[in-house]
Amino acid sequence: MAKVLRFRFSRGPELKYLSHLDVLRVFERALRRSQLPVGYTRGFNPRMRLVFGLPMSTGLTSDAEYADIVLEREISCEDFVSILNENMPDGIKIHEAAELIGQENIMNLIKAALYSITFETDRRESEIACMISDLLFQNELMAMKKTKKGFRPENIRPLIYRLGLANKGNNTFELSALVSAGAEKNLRADLLMEALSRKYEFRPNILSIHRKALYTEDAGGWKDPIEVTDGKRCPD
Amino acid sequence: MRINLTDDILLNVQKPAKYTGNEWNMVRKNPGDVDVRFAFCFPDDYEIGMSHLGMKILYHILNRREDTYCERVFAPWVDMEEKLRENNIPLYSLETYTPVSEFDMVGFTLQYEMSYTNILSMLDLGGIPVFAKDRKDNMPFVLAGGPCAVNPEPLADFVDFFVIGEAEEAINEIIDEYKAWKNSGESREEFLARVAKIEGVYVPAFYDVDYNEDGTVKSIRPNRDGVPAKIKRRIIRDLNEADFPDDVIVPYVGTVHDRIMLEIFRGCIRGCRFCQAGFIYRPLRERDHEKLLKLAKQSIEKTGYEEISLVSLSTSDYSRLPELCNALIEYTEGEKVNLSLPSLRLDNFSMQLMEKASKVRKSGLTFAPEAGTQRLRDVINKNITEEDLFNAVKMAVSGGWNSVKLYFMMGLPTETMEDVEAIGELGIRLIESCRDLPGGKSLNITISTSCFVPKPFTPFQWEPMDDMETLMEKQFRLKDRVRKNRRITYNYHDARVSMLEAVFARGDRRIGQALYKAWRKGCKFDGWAEFFDFDKWMEAFEECGLDPKFYANRRRSFDEILPWDHINIGVTKRFLQKECEKAYRGEVTQNCAENCSFCGAQGYKTGICLGEQRSDRNNG
Repeated sequence: MAKVLRFRFSRGPELKYLSHLDVLRVFERALRRSQLPVGYTRGFNPRMRLVFGLPMSTGLTSDAEYADIVLEREISCEDFVSILNENMPDGIKIHEAAELIGQENIMNLIKAALYSITFETDRRESEIACMISDLLFQNELMAMKKTKKGFRPENIRPLIYRLGLANKGNNTFELSALVSAGAEKNLRADLLMEALSRKYEFRPNILSIHRKALYTEDAGGWKDPIEVTDGKRCPD
Repeated sequence: MRINLTDDILLNVQKPAKYTGNEWNMVRKNPGDVDVRFAFCFPDDYEIGMSHLGMKILYHILNRREDTYCERVFAPWVDMEEKLRENNIPLYSLETYTPVSEFDMVGFTLQYEMSYTNILSMLDLGGIPVFAKDRKDNMPFVLAGGPCAVNPEPLADFVDFFVIGEAEEAINEIIDEYKAWKNSGESREEFLARVAKIEGVYVPAFYDVDYNEDGTVKSIRPNRDGVPAKIKRRIIRDLNEADFPDDVIVPYVGTVHDRIMLEIFRGCIRGCRFCQAGFIYRPLRERDHEKLLKLAKQSIEKTGYEEISLVSLSTSDYSRLPELCNALIEYTEGEKVNLSLPSLRLDNFSMQLMEKASKVRKSGLTFAPEAGTQRLRDVINKNITEEDLFNAVKMAVSGGWNSVKLYFMMGLPTETMEDVEAIGELGIRLIESCRDLPGGKSLNITISTSCFVPKPFTPFQWEPMDDMETLMEKQFRLKDRVRKNRRITYNYHDARVSMLEAVFARGDRRIGQALYKAWRKGCKFDGWAEFFDFDKWMEAFEECGLDPKFYANRRRSFDEILPWDHINIGVTKRFLQKECEKAYRGEVTQNCAENCSFCGAQGYKTGICLGEQRSDRNNG
């Protein structure tokens, strides 16, 4: 019996320079090495039935990426996780999996992302804190969004849900940002930083961008995409 | 020293994963645990270099040794080179991020003449003096091998020693010698004297070249005792005994040949007279088909690759092709792996094979008639008839292919304008002949012409290359001939690049100076149209007082001493001359499977040269 698993994986600094397409290839080849019973599409050019939640841009690290995969034979979530991990290069690790029963696939489910952006600046903490609270009172934050025809200004303020600041010492700060993500309205963390820098004329030196969580929306709240599966969740 | 690369650099270059290593199957060792650290350098981009089978083989062989750690280095793309220079970061290896200058040996593979400037860039970026004479005792030895090393002279000033021929065995002997030398307290020169005794090794500093007043070579002679007057090409006698990797590195970024490459044989029986590979890899030696099937399975299991390709100079000449392909098709279908069968000949069997193997893509088929008329095909000993070609294209169209690529060479010896126009006419007649076939109306033909570059160790090594004006005129004529046919697309190669390729292919030691000057002027990645700067090259030649035409466009006499005459490739100069004379008469030569022509390679006493193998083939 075919079944569908949803799994969460992380991407560490070792593989942060890969493009989304590269990551896809890493999975396909690891799955082939693992000899797990992956389902394939029919037709002349069979592809693995594997769908990712949200593309990962080059340079990003993450604790929480999600994908759905079709398996043609019964295999426990625990076995799936451990067998796939044995065949993964350093830098990508599968943490948990759960069976998916009759839900929409992950691609259309992701609605928000939580980023942790670490940067250096010569501004004082109070200045940056003011800047952030000011922004949260504004209705507009313009960003230059890249399109096929070049750049187009867009108001990204409605895509920002929550911002928080932590002082890490040595002029280093961590901005945590909960923003809209997914197929409909996606705000990239680097674009957010660019728009902030332009509006408040400060020049942060971004040290890292890390995705801490992806959420789906369920009954009016943000939910972990694995939590919303009906299947049994296997422990991390 | 371990190089530290920041996001500031890596997030501002294209495809940063080319510079960070850590791929699946990358070999990990503690550099402190080995005696010899070897940097295998590919003088082109990662995406090209990682497609190269020779590197995979030698990486595997060197790393099987506990005493050696072989790491990879590629030419950084222009954006990365700029970042490295800006930040004073030396070129480093992908395995341990070690600067190239800290290795014991730095080995380059020479696949293409137009990558020579990149060798200088890589040495310079790695912190190694580009000229061999400037290297001090504590610096790495720079060696080079690969097909272009059959004429090592243009690089003689930059490379400490060359390995001529197949290096699988010689490289082990070199490493052993290096270890012995390292403990001996001897000088740098004494190490070179040690390796000069290894068969196939050429130390250019141990040979003097004298020139005649007209600029031709007067003599090439050893300048010390204990080095051979002629350097004999190394070969692997038995491919079944030779080590072949099944755990190749799986890159993250897509490469040009991003698949498993299964080498089914070395050498070629055909003897097309323009083709250097047809002579410098003789004799044909096959790998056993059962061993190949086993290698294929192990490779898929260890890499997870989704595609496997047979590699050789002419797939159809493999004696057990049906057995091999049937077994491979059965296996790959079950595993959902694509099987690719390049360089098949135009016959029924090949068509059926392709039909079976590539159920997926029916986009394009490529044939290489090389010349437009039968007369010229006889001159070059390319034994394809027009009938073969028409049948093959018809078969392809009937089989559902609607696009066919045809490769030709322009500027072949004895070529006339009629031969050039015949290329276009051939295309037009092929289109017409398929018109009434089902699907024939949608047939498109792409004609590509490259410029013929005479190469050392071919029957045409004495021939002048067409000058650029003539080549351009021929290209224009052909373009004009097919202009009105909308189903034919015509592509042609930049004659200026080919001319430079010709200079370096048959160059002598003196043109190393022009190479150095051109590099100093900023020439790099010359094989890439976007970086090729013809004017800088011409300036460089002029400043050195060298005439590129002397090397590219001059007819040599048969008794001229050629700059590569001290290299013994196995095939004799006498045989090549005979072949050249037969070419002028339009006479073809039988291939090695039909009959032995006593080219000289029989001296290796292996492969197809052994009589039994030939009769097996003809009876089976």
